[in-house]
Amino acid sequence: MDPIPGLVILDPPLSGPRNMEIDDALLKNARPDWPVVLRIYRWEVPTLSLGHFQQIEERESSQGLMQLPWVRRRTGGGAIVHDRELTYSIVLPKRDGQPTKGHNEALYRAIHLQFVHELGKQGWDAKLAETCTCKLSPEQKSEPFLCFSRRSPVDLIVGRDKILGSAQRRSVSGLLQHGSFLLQGSESTPQLPGLLDLEVRSALGNGIAAWQNFFIATLKDGVDQLLQVRWQNGKLLELLDL
Amino acid sequence: MSITPDKLRYCESHEWVYLADPSTGIATIGISAFAVEELTDLVFMALPKVGQTVTAGSEFGEVESVKAVSPMYSPVSGTVVEVHTALVDKLESLGVDPYNEGWIIKVQMSDPLELNKLLDWEAYQKQCNH
Repeated sequence: MDPIPGLVILDPPLSGPRNMEIDDALLKNARPDWPVVLRIYRWEVPTLSLGHFQQIEERESSQGLMQLPWVRRRTGGGAIVHDRELTYSIVLPKRDGQPTKGHNEALYRAIHLQFVHELGKQGWDAKLAETCTCKLSPEQKSEPFLCFSRRSPVDLIVGRDKILGSAQRRSVSGLLQHGSFLLQGSESTPQLPGLLDLEVRSALGNGIAAWQNFFIATLKDGVDQLLQVRWQNGKLLELLDL
Repeated sequence: MSITPDKLRYCESHEWVYLADPSTGIATIGISAFAVEELTDLVFMALPKVGQTVTAGSEFGEVESVKAVSPMYSPVSGTVVEVHTALVDKLESLGVDPYNEGWIIKVQMSDPLELNKLLDWEAYQKQCNH
């Protein structure tokens, strides 16, 4: 089978509403002849993003969160403080002949396993969480508000700390997956360390540029575990006129 | 009487519809066992209100699983006449019996001929097993 075209878009830091507007448009306008779109981005200012069904009132439990601008994602999961982290979105347009069963779940598993592999090569104790804090019955207390305080079986943890979480929105036009790679803890959430706050020191150092390159390469390799993609760098304008 | 999946019509997006009594024009709508399995552990469902109009192929609600939000699309056009609000507190029943206990809404159809455009059980199974 011929490789599927894939476009890597590296955006400058944008506001929360703008970042979400772009991702929503990528999913809404996805067509079967579109490439797979992998978008890497950061945020102009530290921003709290809420999972699609989360209540904004829940942030009142933390003074640090109250001071942040916030935006709502179209994907599920818990709230994320986008501060010293890298964010990705990937849109897989629905294609004729695309396998159906297990396809969506397989995407985040493939990506997270690739991070386990690559971080492990550098000496990090990286693994999938294999546990769940999910709220599966009315009797159970609600899940933690913050994504990085939650655990689901395919979350990436290093030691005991969650470092990479992803969530999806599935629609008739395709699949949108968001993910956040926590490099360093935020002052707004000091209880949640990032990868570089942990003990192992990597050859990549603490520079954001090296970690961004690592992030992009690992994401591409992860997607390639599931789909054969012919990647090229591109601009948003090639797809959308936003 | 228990509804069995071979008696239903399906959308490609995995919603089912059942017309118990054609003289009423009231269709019962839910999501298939395949959809429930693919969604994995369901944690929340947002439902429409009685009186809301729906059109075939448009969203009538959303369901959240541990990792994903998925819209639910109406197989037919019409007006919502009943909503299974109790389902929100017992989403686990969708995994047990999505075709009876797991019904989601009932719609007074405006165009019963829309049913003919939907997949039958055999065609739907073929899609799922692809």
